[in-house]
Amino acid sequence: MSSQHNHATVSHELSLGQYFDNIKTAVITTFKGMMITLKYVYGVRPVTIEYPEVKEELPEISRSRLYNDAENCISCLQCASACPVDCIYISANRRATDAPALKTKDGTAIKLDLTMYTIDTALCCYCGLCTTVCPTSCLTHTTDYEYASYTVDQMKYDYLAPEVRAWRTRIVKD
Amino acid sequence: MDVNQEKLKTELLTVNMGPQHPATHGVLRVEIKTDSEIVAEAIPHIGYLHRCKEKHSESLDYRGVIPYVDRMDYLAAMNMELGYCLTIEKMLGTEVPKRATYIRMVCAELQRIASHLMFFGTYAIDLGAFSPFLYAFQKREEILRLFEEFSGARLLYNYIWIGGVWNDITDKHIERILKFCDELSEELKKYDTLVSQNRIFIERTANVGLISQTLCYEYGLTGPLLRGSGIKWDLRKNRPYCFYDKMEFEIPVGLGEKGTLGDCYDRYSVRMREMIESIKIIRQCLQGIEAGPVMGKVAKVLKVPAGEIYFRTECPRGELGYHLISDGSKKPYRLKVKSSCFTHVSVLPELAPGQMIADLVATIGSIDIVLGEVDR
Repeated sequence: MSSQHNHATVSHELSLGQYFDNIKTAVITTFKGMMITLKYVYGVRPVTIEYPEVKEELPEISRSRLYNDAENCISCLQCASACPVDCIYISANRRATDAPALKTKDGTAIKLDLTMYTIDTALCCYCGLCTTVCPTSCLTHTTDYEYASYTVDQMKYDYLAPEVRAWRTRIVKD
Repeated sequence: MDVNQEKLKTELLTVNMGPQHPATHGVLRVEIKTDSEIVAEAIPHIGYLHRCKEKHSESLDYRGVIPYVDRMDYLAAMNMELGYCLTIEKMLGTEVPKRATYIRMVCAELQRIASHLMFFGTYAIDLGAFSPFLYAFQKREEILRLFEEFSGARLLYNYIWIGGVWNDITDKHIERILKFCDELSEELKKYDTLVSQNRIFIERTANVGLISQTLCYEYGLTGPLLRGSGIKWDLRKNRPYCFYDKMEFEIPVGLGEKGTLGDCYDRYSVRMREMIESIKIIRQCLQGIEAGPVMGKVAKVLKVPAGEIYFRTECPRGELGYHLISDGSKKPYRLKVKSSCFTHVSVLPELAPGQMIADLVATIGSIDIVLGEVDR
């Protein structure tokens, strides 16, 4: 392993004039840079926001917390099969024949009773593949991004639980 | 043999640089053997970010691989997706709509700028200047905001899909991109005064970490490293994909302006000039863009015909190649990724001997590796 070609050794001695010349150019060029920084003292609009007080409005399309509107879900399992990390757990029973007919918002008949719809948000990679395959578009990425929790268990959202369904009014925009 | 010199030889001190070190941009451990301040040997240890991406993609359908591909080089996710999708499309023989191709190119070039801005900022930090980082991030943020509006995510987009792109962009976005290009051209002049012409920066980078052309060929270096050593090779020009053959742009190469050809300064300046070329490409793309669909015809259940393909694209850090073997099923049989960063890390032991430790930091910074891509 030869390493001669790697480092050009600066062998020549600096003269006193060159030494001071180097310092001079260093100071001048640094000063030029500082002038640019100085321009930012006044007249430049700040680009940062002070987060908890000022909240950023995310674009409508933004992919944050998942929300499944269980009333419109037909339990087709397409989201679960599209999910690359397998974090969507669904189980459903066949609806009794004598039960009243249910329909989703867009008119698709619900033939299965959803018994479990849980998403482990801690596993979710926010790729958005599940929302694109949803035929009734009941599973959506919302723009809600403030959902840090203390334990991993709390990240598991059961979308049939009333307290999770109560988010709907807060985070889903129709 | 000089006996006295042999007696004076001191014992080498082994120091671990990393895995958590601000200069390594991720979790790279460089085991360095130092003789006081001079590095005698440097051995990079990788694998801290290994996520079994290649093996894992064998159990995913072709669309499900894209989010994983994003996570390889998380600073240039668009380019990673583009390479993957082009590979699969070539196997499928899918025709991508013109508008989608233009959008892809705009995204890839914007991503290249974002990645180089990141390099610019962090490289300045490595060398002890903090403020350029803030300027660079201010501009990078605008790109990320644009991508967020296209795709919904800021870093890991899953935007470029097999057959096209997920969402269409609006005329408002195009106006904003053009405005951004104008602003960036101005901003780049500012960066030039701020860093490129700074005497201290030049002294720290010129004549440091020389990569000769022979070394480039021996190690198979690509991207800005290769061009920094004065070899004019860019896949966008030499093996065009998308509509790069229609575009007019230059390939910036290292000139050895401040020191010797192939030093850190050359690699830095190549990247800075590449941003200008990217702006040119974006402008041409947005001129040529036409109305139309953004998604081609792709089967819902994707089955890639049996066969083998190797396809490579030019990413901000070098060539990225995908070697796909398909057995005709829904999942890839094998998806090997040839990453440029992995190759670039391997050249470190050649560069390190004889350098000061501070210069080694400058060298690692100028190679600009992302460990997510090294380990995959």
